[in-house]
Amino acid sequence: MSSKNKNGNSDVVAYSEMAIRNNLSVVEYCRTSMAALSGCTAGVLGLTGLYGAAFYIFAVTSLWLMILCKAGLSSWKNFFISRKSLLTNGFFGQLFTYILCWTFIYGMVHVY
Amino acid sequence: MTTDLIVDPQIRFWVFLPIVVITFLVGILRHYISILLSSQKKVEIQQLQDSQLILRARVLRENAKYIPKTSFLIRKHAFNREEEGYLMQKRPPVTQNMMTDPSMMTDMLKGNLTNVLPMIIIGGWINWMFSGFITTKVPFPLTLRFKSMLQRGIELSHLDASWVSSASWYFLNVFGLRSIYALVLGENNAADQSKQMQDQMSGAAMAMPNDPKVPFKAEWEALEIVDHQWVLADVENSIMQSD
Amino acid sequence: MPATFLHRFVLSIGFLSLFHSAYSAAQHRSYLRLNELDFTHLPLDIIIQALISLFVIMYGVMNVAGDFKEIKASAELENKSWETFRNIPSFYTFSHRGKFLAFPHQTGNKKHN
Repeated sequence: MSSKNKNGNSDVVAYSEMAIRNNLSVVEYCRTSMAALSGCTAGVLGLTGLYGAAFYIFAVTSLWLMILCKAGLSSWKNFFISRKSLLTNGFFGQLFTYILCWTFIYGMVHVY
Repeated sequence: MTTDLIVDPQIRFWVFLPIVVITFLVGILRHYISILLSSQKKVEIQQLQDSQLILRARVLRENAKYIPKTSFLIRKHAFNREEEGYLMQKRPPVTQNMMTDPSMMTDMLKGNLTNVLPMIIIGGWINWMFSGFITTKVPFPLTLRFKSMLQRGIELSHLDASWVSSASWYFLNVFGLRSIYALVLGENNAADQSKQMQDQMSGAAMAMPNDPKVPFKAEWEALEIVDHQWVLADVENSIMQSD
Repeated sequence: MPATFLHRFVLSIGFLSLFHSAYSAAQHRSYLRLNELDFTHLPLDIIIQALISLFVIMYGVMNVAGDFKEIKASAELENKSWETFRNIPSFYTFSHRGKFLAFPHQTGNKKHN
């Protein structure tokens, strides 16, 4: 940490890599489960076409809100560097899981 | 939605569900088998020494400004001395071929055994056992381009593209269940190869390439051209001023 | 807070509820098909049940997944005192003059014997 100011209060904040990784893995876990579960729900509801995509966006956004609530609405800065990247990261990575679960439950419930 | 097809509900329990369960359980099984087969990778002590040496040289180069000039020169001398410096020492030329190294061979064999073989066998078996069923319908419209991808094993030109055949349903599962494995088995599981590759690439203690000559040479050059500027020359004054 | 029994209970209740709503939806579809009605939308109670169970499960998952850690590197060090850092186990020595000071009566006894 380089101390730029003379009074010891440096602008540079040191982050603990272990903690960041731990937080990200927790978020990743939640995100994967959310993708799978919201896919199942979309299948149960029998959403088709663009409604399913809209439901995915709704699910991701509500997961983001829930994570922020869990971290504390005012104290999220203690746990994450950026609030926006929390929302956008892995947005498309979990899409395939969502589609698979959606197709699976949709097939189970509505096709036959 | 008006279904023009009515699918026999028996297919649901005897084709559709079994494929998902089989794919999932095979993934789990593969994880545990590859744990059983995995061997701890042995690191050559010489290679480890070399990589640590380069790390040391880099640390010296980057933090040279915090030590006095004489100390820096002594350290640099230790690394870059003619004939005897650490970075100048000769290594016996290692020409390890991947094919001739027996440990490499067994590793590759195990990798094939756990990854490729089940894929082929199970895929072939599913193709043979559950061939020619329409299993499900994707809940979104698709263009005709996807027909060959989703309807493998069914040659019906008038069928809507969003119906999925059993063989394609298996492949969808193989690729889609990856993140579910991460959920069930924890991170870095063996069922998910792509993650492992990333971990190997970004590993901190990267194994040195077999021939250390090239990185040694580069590090030697970098160390030679370092211009030593001691930043702590008047540290006493600056500390006294700050108080 | 660690994953408690309560959260696991909530999680399984949510799964059961989601499964139940899926089963109800399947039943509804088969009822429609038997009566040769067209599918327009699910009954409202199934939709509500599915959505609520989704959020119940997510609540359980978020609590089971684990806690966040503070990402500031100094967060862990704040509760530690200088004595903790100065404590270096490698430099412990137990064979020093203290043993003669601590138990004078024992050493004295030994001398007498």
